[in-house]
Amino acid sequence: MSTVQVTIESVSVPTFVLGILSAVFLFGMFIVGYDQGHLFNVVVGEQAFDDLYLHELYHDLRHVSGFPCH
Amino acid sequence: MRATVFIGITLLAGIICGLILGGTNLVVTEPFIDQAIDIEIQNAIVEGENIGSIQEITKYRIWQKGGQVLAASILGLSLGSLFALVYAFAWPSIPGSNGIKKGLFLAAIIWFTIFLIPFLKYPANPPTVGDPETIFYRQSLYLVFMAASGLGALVLAFLYKKLNNKKSRKFIVPVLYGAYISAIFVMMPPNPDLITTPMDLINNFRIASALTITLFWFLLGAIFGVLWDKFKPYRKVTSKL
Repeated sequence: MSTVQVTIESVSVPTFVLGILSAVFLFGMFIVGYDQGHLFNVVVGEQAFDDLYLHELYHDLRHVSGFPCH
Repeated sequence: MRATVFIGITLLAGIICGLILGGTNLVVTEPFIDQAIDIEIQNAIVEGENIGSIQEITKYRIWQKGGQVLAASILGLSLGSLFALVYAFAWPSIPGSNGIKKGLFLAAIIWFTIFLIPFLKYPANPPTVGDPETIFYRQSLYLVFMAASGLGALVLAFLYKKLNNKKSRKFIVPVLYGAYISAIFVMMPPNPDLITTPMDLINNFRIASALTITLFWFLLGAIFGVLWDKFKPYRKVTSKL
């Protein structure tokens, strides 16, 4: 009995891939473009809005990429 | 589609372009950011604010400059993911005989709709510009305008596919997008903050930032296209008895 190699071409994006890449897109956009302490607020509470650690880390790129920064 | 290969080339293209963006910004845009921060410090001194020691400011700037590269990598992964999804869904319809040509074509469309058009309405500003009291309002304006432009282009891309007359759709769709985005452009309120920083600095910063972001988009199109052609995530070879 012989085996035959079959090549299938499909650009159909599986749902889980759509989910993963959409999540990467939205999460990245939020932390680089919009976070003002919200992410660390989950861990350290209200202090995160004053410390703005992530905000300051992304500060320069946020200005360069056109997002309002402060 | 081979999902792991597709995710792999997406993240690889995104991180490569993000690192290049971050590295380029350190050379091209950081000098303008440094100048703007010097002005900010001088203004704070004049107003009698406690700005801390030189060592503290230097340490702070090292943190921010290091963050430039990290943030650009994350932005690369994020925008790379968006790009890859649109590329995969639109692949059969994108003009071009190979991955690079298709990638560059799609990069031009996305760059135009979600970067250039919002940039013309709400251009990038260096530090010293922006009242902290209006930050959420300005963020909302930018997000709404970017989403309106991007989603408008997406809807028109579907319309382009639906229209049967190939000659007329090449004319109708751009005209419709132009009319739609012009209306949004006029309707959206302007940036509410006054600019008191010298316009030379503002304009030079805007040119530098537009150049590096443009470089990012076209590199992303080219690199993703190369990886798409090389690894062919759409092709699956199976053995059958």
